[in-house]
Amino acid sequence: MKNTEFEKALAVQLEQLPREQQPERDLWPGIEHALNRQSHAPLEPTKRNGQYWGMAAAVAMVGMLSWFGVQQIGPDQDDLAARLSAQHQAQKQALLAKFTDQPALTENWQQQLKELDDAAMAIRKALENDPDNMAMLQMLQQVYQQQIDLIEKVHAPKWQQI
Amino acid sequence: MLNSQGELIEASDQFAQRATLTLVESAKRGDRQAYQQLYQQHVGKVYSLCLRLTGDRALAEDATQEVFLQLWRKLDNYRGDSKFSTWLHSVTSHVCISYLRKQKGWIKRMFNIEDTEAMYEVAEASTSEVDLDAYIRRLPERARVVFVLHAVEGYRHEDIADMTGMAVGSSKAQFHRAKHLLQEWMGYEEH
Repeated sequence: MKNTEFEKALAVQLEQLPREQQPERDLWPGIEHALNRQSHAPLEPTKRNGQYWGMAAAVAMVGMLSWFGVQQIGPDQDDLAARLSAQHQAQKQALLAKFTDQPALTENWQQQLKELDDAAMAIRKALENDPDNMAMLQMLQQVYQQQIDLIEKVHAPKWQQI
Repeated sequence: MLNSQGELIEASDQFAQRATLTLVESAKRGDRQAYQQLYQQHVGKVYSLCLRLTGDRALAEDATQEVFLQLWRKLDNYRGDSKFSTWLHSVTSHVCISYLRKQKGWIKRMFNIEDTEAMYEVAEASTSEVDLDAYIRRLPERARVVFVLHAVEGYRHEDIADMTGMAVGSSKAQFHRAKHLLQEWMGYEEH
């Protein structure tokens, strides 16, 4: 009996689902920016930079504008990548030092950290050839953030903090 | 009276379709403004489908951008055999699932996360106020994708199997799983 009622209720609910929902932010600037980059890019750098570039591209593409406001990209992109890396290294080392005596939840987290290091290295190499590439700077920023999240996650998971 | 009203709606629909086709043709020639208008016309539908498939607002926003990036390159493939919105819907389904698989692989490799956070939220069973979209977001990923494609979008399990790379039987099993969870969450569980 309840099965029949459920099927009817589900059919009604499906019929009433909204056909359209608007995103909370304007997605067009990111799309336009990526289209501009595509039209100016001479070659796809995907294979040149190995698998980690591909992984990073799959994750970030262009939708990550929120990581880095356009206004933050000034005339010194070379320095920006270097400053970003230096700042990240300091933050990473501080976090690692903080969790030295704390057991990690997974055994392979250092391997994951190394993989992210490799990904960051691949992006930095790509940035050497194209220092103005904002999408790549965003990817670098995101990979660094993934590292920080990883370190925090394996040492201080949310369920332990409750 | 009703007849003339019906004709009016039909004529209006045809006019809208013609206007869309004009925008598509302009966009094919590289007209970015026309493409932006196409985006504005269709972003609501694209985002809605991406949100249901991903179950996550941030992922849905990224997937929507990915859809419109790929659409720009795929526009030449649209021959006008079907309505543009129908064709775009199909493109959205394929691009979003592809995006989701890449994303999933990445996140899973990094953090061994099995499903979205939404499914861990406490589901309150209620028959009085049902927000089906909220329940859909809570479904485990594979069950959610199959449910959305089959129950909401009307794809056959054979098509879903092609799109997702899972077996037809798995698609049916995931659909059954989704319905079982929804039945429980909506308060219609058999005791």
